[in-house]
Amino acid sequence: MRHSALAYVPGNSPLHAASTGPAIAFLGSFALAGFVFAGPIMLASAGLALVLAGLLAGAGRAVRASLRYALTLALLIIAVNALVVHRGATILIRGDEVPLLGRMDVTLESLAAGAVLGLRIAVVMLAFAVYSACVDPDGVLRLLRPVARRSALTATLVARMVPVASADLARLREGAELRGPGATPVGRSALLRRLVAGSLDRAVDVAATLELRGHSLPGPPGRPRPSRGSLDDAPLLAAAGLVALVVVVGTAAGAGGFDPYPGLAVDLGVSTLALAAILPAYAAIPFAVRAARARRELGGALA
Amino acid sequence: MPEPVLSARDFGYSYPEATGPALTGIDLELSPGEFVVLAGRSGSGKTTLLRAACGLVPHFHGGEASGELSVGGRDVRDHGPGELADRVGFVAQEPETQVVSTTVAAEIELPLELRGVGPQARARAVEEVGLALAIPHLLERPTATLSGGELQRVALAAALAPRPPLLLLDEPTSQLDPVAGDELIWLLRRLNEEWGVTVLISEHRLERCLAAADRVVAISAGAAAFDGSPAGYLSWALDSDPALATPAARMFALAGIEPPPVGVREARRRLTQLGLAAEPLAQEADAGAPGRSASVPARRSLRTVRRRGGREPAALEARRLRVRLGEGQGAREVLRGVELSVAPGERVALMGRNGAGKSTLLRTAAGILQPGGGSVSAPGGVALLPQRPDDLLVREQVSEELPGPEGEAALAAFGLEGFEGADPRDLSGGERQRLALAIVAAGRGAGAGDPPGALLLDEPTRGMDRAAKLDLAAFVARLSEAGSAIVIATHDVEFAAEFATRVVLLGAGDVVADGSPTELLSGGWYFSTEVARVLDGAGPISAEQGAAALRPGSRPARGAAREVRT
Repeated sequence: MRHSALAYVPGNSPLHAASTGPAIAFLGSFALAGFVFAGPIMLASAGLALVLAGLLAGAGRAVRASLRYALTLALLIIAVNALVVHRGATILIRGDEVPLLGRMDVTLESLAAGAVLGLRIAVVMLAFAVYSACVDPDGVLRLLRPVARRSALTATLVARMVPVASADLARLREGAELRGPGATPVGRSALLRRLVAGSLDRAVDVAATLELRGHSLPGPPGRPRPSRGSLDDAPLLAAAGLVALVVVVGTAAGAGGFDPYPGLAVDLGVSTLALAAILPAYAAIPFAVRAARARRELGGALA
Repeated sequence: MPEPVLSARDFGYSYPEATGPALTGIDLELSPGEFVVLAGRSGSGKTTLLRAACGLVPHFHGGEASGELSVGGRDVRDHGPGELADRVGFVAQEPETQVVSTTVAAEIELPLELRGVGPQARARAVEEVGLALAIPHLLERPTATLSGGELQRVALAAALAPRPPLLLLDEPTSQLDPVAGDELIWLLRRLNEEWGVTVLISEHRLERCLAAADRVVAISAGAAAFDGSPAGYLSWALDSDPALATPAARMFALAGIEPPPVGVREARRRLTQLGLAAEPLAQEADAGAPGRSASVPARRSLRTVRRRGGREPAALEARRLRVRLGEGQGAREVLRGVELSVAPGERVALMGRNGAGKSTLLRTAAGILQPGGGSVSAPGGVALLPQRPDDLLVREQVSEELPGPEGEAALAAFGLEGFEGADPRDLSGGERQRLALAIVAAGRGAGAGDPPGALLLDEPTRGMDRAAKLDLAAFVARLSEAGSAIVIATHDVEFAAEFATRVVLLGAGDVVADGSPTELLSGGWYFSTEVARVLDGAGPISAEQGAAALRPGSRPARGAAREVRT
């Protein structure tokens, strides 16, 4: 069976093998950089770091899928921003006067502002995609359950419905292909309507299973199994700490600035470039530490 | 007298906004350690009773309950499914929606974790349940990578983790191949015998589980119609609804032998005692199976078709067909040079274990998958009905699915005239299946409403009772008489015996056997009908053939002779 690109598949990378907390902290630190920095240099750097981490963790499909979605979304944002915002000194296309909306000029600055917004969304989507493919949702729910039982129940239902709905959609698409030429063709909207209607039934079945497992029982859940942690926890936490430090230092230093209007102003200072170069290197730390450890162990075994 | 694990007194239930009750006046008591089979036609109320016994009805589904129903001393109206889960475990029909965790170990651990059980006890329970169900190798596997049979075992393991004294199963084998289905039944028997778990199982293929049962409860129109021993049940079924009897029981009844046998072993013993054995099958007997054309004996029809096959083109032809699925390291060759030719009017049962390549062959023939080598052709057109016909029903009205004169002609060809204004969801299961067939076939035949040259059906009998299967067999027989070649991928040997004029057995992506139903459904273990197993592969495969072939024993059945010696 082919899984959804974003489905969690157990693996052996540091992100898979680490405890849930350090893995979330590592990916969350790059998402934080995406939220905090406004400039394209730092955003591109955070995005590159996540692509690198995803590829090194074996989540290439998730990275490619999220980039595809992000690109589509970014193009949409660029187009909408260009049509809605007419500020900026560099007019690329001079439009007509439209009632209420004013003059429909398309400026270089509004295009650039839309692109940077799209880049920011891409960073967040990448972080989520790598998280989704590499971090065990059972571990996350176990962390969540003692503090937010209802939210954990909802999250479990959603987590389970993703692969179920994905499989349902694949079958519905195949059904649409199998229809004879004399039957009404099925468009995308009809297919999605049918998927939503079917998903409600499937969600009821999954919810019944959750009910049977005891999700509605009062009282605290059992203590988690004592975890000895993972050798990958420390490098992940260290990398997360370093990225957080970059965010703090960069913000304090005003690095990565970006002001699109009236004329494009992108911070290309040394501090920005230095911090941007550091982020992908930090993303590689847990993987480099793992590789070094493996080399040491191999060397020890051979000796 | 031990306290009953389940007790119902005049229990009734109506679903919200239903016009009538789903259950009425149910009186039932289950003692500890019993293995009880719940029998009845589709829609009779079996699933509702099982859902009531685990608290999903009324807590989850709503509606109104009356009378009393308690499990382990707890009234189901006062205690929800979560609270009842340490008294009763429930395994439903659909494996996909019964797992909610990422790995098998987490799934088994979840019900204990939610009950506040400590980590050590949980870890021990996971190990023990894993060993008891023979799935220790699956514990670390992601649930997304499991087959239907494996998922069903995991759902069973999760239901058993809190060690409930009562286990409810709703047609757990309906999605499984014969091997996985039989393994599950014997696993349940072992749990029943060694752990003392009381089992209440609803099942259509009674020949699979009746021999393991202590007792049978038959449900009809929401009420208990029979409650007694398996042998008593078979006598009752033969009198009141023969479709609910096993093939061996029907064979005995047709041959005038009483009482009906419970299982293959008992049937063989009875035949030995009576000095009866099966005569080798005469060719004409092959035509006696229900679902076959009464006017054209199947063997003659098969030979005619094969002779004709030399002159006219095949309806479906695969030549050295190779198909590769997956990518990268997970890629594998599912079809490895399949050679198959199906003549117009033939009815072929495509059989084989899960993963043998049945669905892949059908999907490639229908153009959904592309061959990696070789070719597949269907000059008269081809239509494929997928495993879930409901996936084809996307509109609110039948006429919207099949509009215009061509649509009307397709509806008429599939026996659905007068249904144009109906909502597809309001149709019965059989009608929905025929509508889906009409949708895939519409416009693919030579003229308006004509079915295509080859009609392919992938596992069309999943979850069907025997009466519905007979209707389907009769329907495809009519289509084949009109000239369509019918190819049905199925695990159901009894259904294959009902409808097929030819059986093709796939194994590891290639045709490993190809012949008449009497040849292929009588000589093996798993791919043999119950009648064939009773008669030890003497040739007859259906109750009618078996009854006609039974004669005072000039040639004792081989298995029967072995039993006498032991």
